[in-house]
Amino acid sequence: MSDHRPSPTARRPFARLGLACCLMLASTAIQAATPKTALVMAWNIDAISTFDPAQVGEVVTNELLQNTCDSLVDFDPADERKMIPLFAESWTVSPDRKTITFKLRSGAKFPSGNIATAQDLALSMQRVVKLGFGNATTLTEYGFAKDNVEQRIVAPDDTTLVLTFDKAYPTTLVLQAIAANRVSAIMDMKTVMANQQNGDLGNKYLATHTECIGPYRLAQWNAGESVLLQANDNYWGQKPTLKRVLIKHVSESGTQRLMVGQGDVDVARDLTPEDLKDLESSKDMSIAKVLRPQLYLWTFNLAEGGPFANEKVRLAMRYLVDYEGLGKTVMANLGVPRASFAQLGAVGALDEKQGQPFKLDLDKAKALLTEAGYPDGFTAKLIFGTLQHAAPIAQSVQQNAAKVGVNLTLERMANAQLFAKVRGREFQSAMQAWQTSVPDAHGNASRLVYNPDNRPEAKLTQIPVWRTGFQSKELNEKVDAALLEPDAAKRDALYAELQNEVMAKGPMAIMFQMYNTAAVRNDLKNWTWNGFRTYYAPAAK
Amino acid sequence: MTDVAITASRRSRTSDRKRKLVTLGLAVGRTLLSVAATLLGLTALTFFIGRLLPLDPVIAVLGPNTTHDAYVAMYKQLGLDQPLWKQFVAYLGHLVQLDFGSALTTGKPVASDIARVFPATLELASVAIVIGTGLGIPAGVLSAMYRGSPLDHIVRFVGLLGYSTPHFWLGLMGLALFYATLGLVGGPGRIDVMYELDLEPRTGFYLIDAALTGDGALFRDVFSHIVLPGSILGFGAITYISRMTRSFMIEQLSQEYVVTARVKGLSWARTVWVHAFRNVAVQVVTVVVLSYAFLLEGAVLTETVFAWPGFGRYLTNALLAGDMNAVVGCTILIGVIFVGLNLVCDLLYRIFDPRTR
Repeated sequence: MSDHRPSPTARRPFARLGLACCLMLASTAIQAATPKTALVMAWNIDAISTFDPAQVGEVVTNELLQNTCDSLVDFDPADERKMIPLFAESWTVSPDRKTITFKLRSGAKFPSGNIATAQDLALSMQRVVKLGFGNATTLTEYGFAKDNVEQRIVAPDDTTLVLTFDKAYPTTLVLQAIAANRVSAIMDMKTVMANQQNGDLGNKYLATHTECIGPYRLAQWNAGESVLLQANDNYWGQKPTLKRVLIKHVSESGTQRLMVGQGDVDVARDLTPEDLKDLESSKDMSIAKVLRPQLYLWTFNLAEGGPFANEKVRLAMRYLVDYEGLGKTVMANLGVPRASFAQLGAVGALDEKQGQPFKLDLDKAKALLTEAGYPDGFTAKLIFGTLQHAAPIAQSVQQNAAKVGVNLTLERMANAQLFAKVRGREFQSAMQAWQTSVPDAHGNASRLVYNPDNRPEAKLTQIPVWRTGFQSKELNEKVDAALLEPDAAKRDALYAELQNEVMAKGPMAIMFQMYNTAAVRNDLKNWTWNGFRTYYAPAAK
Repeated sequence: MTDVAITASRRSRTSDRKRKLVTLGLAVGRTLLSVAATLLGLTALTFFIGRLLPLDPVIAVLGPNTTHDAYVAMYKQLGLDQPLWKQFVAYLGHLVQLDFGSALTTGKPVASDIARVFPATLELASVAIVIGTGLGIPAGVLSAMYRGSPLDHIVRFVGLLGYSTPHFWLGLMGLALFYATLGLVGGPGRIDVMYELDLEPRTGFYLIDAALTGDGALFRDVFSHIVLPGSILGFGAITYISRMTRSFMIEQLSQEYVVTARVKGLSWARTVWVHAFRNVAVQVVTVVVLSYAFLLEGAVLTETVFAWPGFGRYLTNALLAGDMNAVVGCTILIGVIFVGLNLVCDLLYRIFDPRTR
């Protein structure tokens, strides 16, 4: 009988192919490293959809624009509450605090070769208001409107810019707002307007271009793949140490951990608490952590009545959150317990203890529910999105709520769907994140407390407190009073009172303030960031 | 033969040729019509289902904190205030001009987005199908040849493992072992950072682009990045192809002609590979082509774990953001792939099976 196996000739091609592959793999077994002249980061950059400073709202694009587009002023890297000059060399404030005159740098050039002038900046800021995207609120809440912006933001000469406000707002707050929201990013308006389509003021063109002046410039963006920033050799200020910044889109945190461990990237930005805990003991890297102005909160809809319209019920819900337990487990390295609307680090914020007076207390919650007329509890729905900590927190709260008779039905959904429901007041209760853009208590007071018009037809969908249907004239007045109080100590006292009151009866149970975390390899020096800004230029190797 | 007869014979041959041409033309016409109807149906289905999804494309563009006025303006700009049928007709109007519109999530034309992400998936799927076919078919045939032997058990066990193990987990474990521990393969992504700026994408297929540069180190780097995700996906293909091949071959090997061939003194290998395997080739081709088509749809989880900027991930992100231009564009491409591969399949049947000619 003949041999049952395939002949050696038949096996040979496979053997050859296998051998070739093994040889090739063996020859590629190299120690990974990033280039000495580049900062390489692994980050989930799916959220990038445009680079128009008038439109961007995502954390990633915000950070990229802050490193590619100079604003008038900047946050002090050492203290985010202090403002330092950037494209404005200096500024003066009128005695009535309603006018700020900026003296700008002269001679700076855009990538096109055009000289940057105050007229460019005035037009750049005016277009933010005229386009009316979310960032326009940064200017409209200080009295700028489509019909007055050309009179209130003016450039009398090439190096002078004058902003005129409707009220005497705190100057630092205004400067913080325009620095944080990129609304004062100076753009090459000649180039932008030359690429205008159907009167869009260059919005479509700027979706994929940055026509700015900054330490870096956007060299390449491949959606869902990578972003490449190139050092701007003509930059007026301190030149970046590293010539390139390459951000690789890596959405899976486990993959990011492997890459930073292998040295394929210098920084990993989206690690899980478990990964961060493990990497803390690594000799090759350190964990960078800074509190950011983002709160994770449980928001209640009061618009259609129901149990959440009762402030005692809302207060009871605050006692159902296991701040300590979650803080040590799910939120370890992700955030710290915080109940006050003013984030830690903000001007006017209560300290850690005063700003977080709650703890898990089922008896207290039960007593409050009884006082509110719900001794046997009630049934309600809780919706939340896809953040990694959303489901564990919601489940923990659900379990605690069940113990006091409150039956919470959980529903997880895509973030876009969650936002749509909350914006439309189509929810009973929801958990989501909210981030302010200024290190001042007013940042959140103006969004989480102050509701100028609670009517459904007002459609103030950009204001979270409007979405809840909560409005208090008394609190509105207190927000206004604190905003315009010129004396710093008195202002702090007004905010302290406001925070205590809102913690007792506000429409949101604020639970945690979030961290920015990253694993940074040791060969990368001078990783510089605060809650509002990450500075690429000082980074070195 | 008389002149009349010759002329009649010529006429008959000419009319035969004409008839064949007409038949061929009709067949081509029918195929094109069927393809067009399939794609139209697919477009309509995707479009209407997409519009019924509780996702808001305006929020995908403007973010959740936009003002109501800006929201309404964008809503109108996207044509969402129009009746559904009008939106569909307008979309079809653009489509016939091969204009898929712009993706809301990237701000770029859908066609250029697809042209960027699809080669990444095509390259990965091609490597995977080469691995899947190259190992799956021999494994299936050998398993059938030695049915009940330890080899057969191993092939079936590995097959079962491939079916039941999530690729997501397999990918992470593969990375942890071959990349992070042994350092045998490149990391996530298509190319190392060190080479990222050296490679100018010409075809979009990095293996080809790297080969065109003539830089051996660059080619090895690209190869080292694709080999692991390609193998993980290929593993899935191996399990399917080997199991199907095995069952086809077992049926064939029990046929009388196999016994006859063996009685006549033909070697076992020759009987199996030359005679029995040829009879299952058509079925195996169908299995391979279907596997390839599924791979080309994009393996979202594998692409996510390996940070592979491919088609599957693009489509999934578009779907989650309610970006219907991108979703419909991708769906049409998937439709075209399936229809195209079906046609290729038909063609291969004609080559492998003389009865279909």
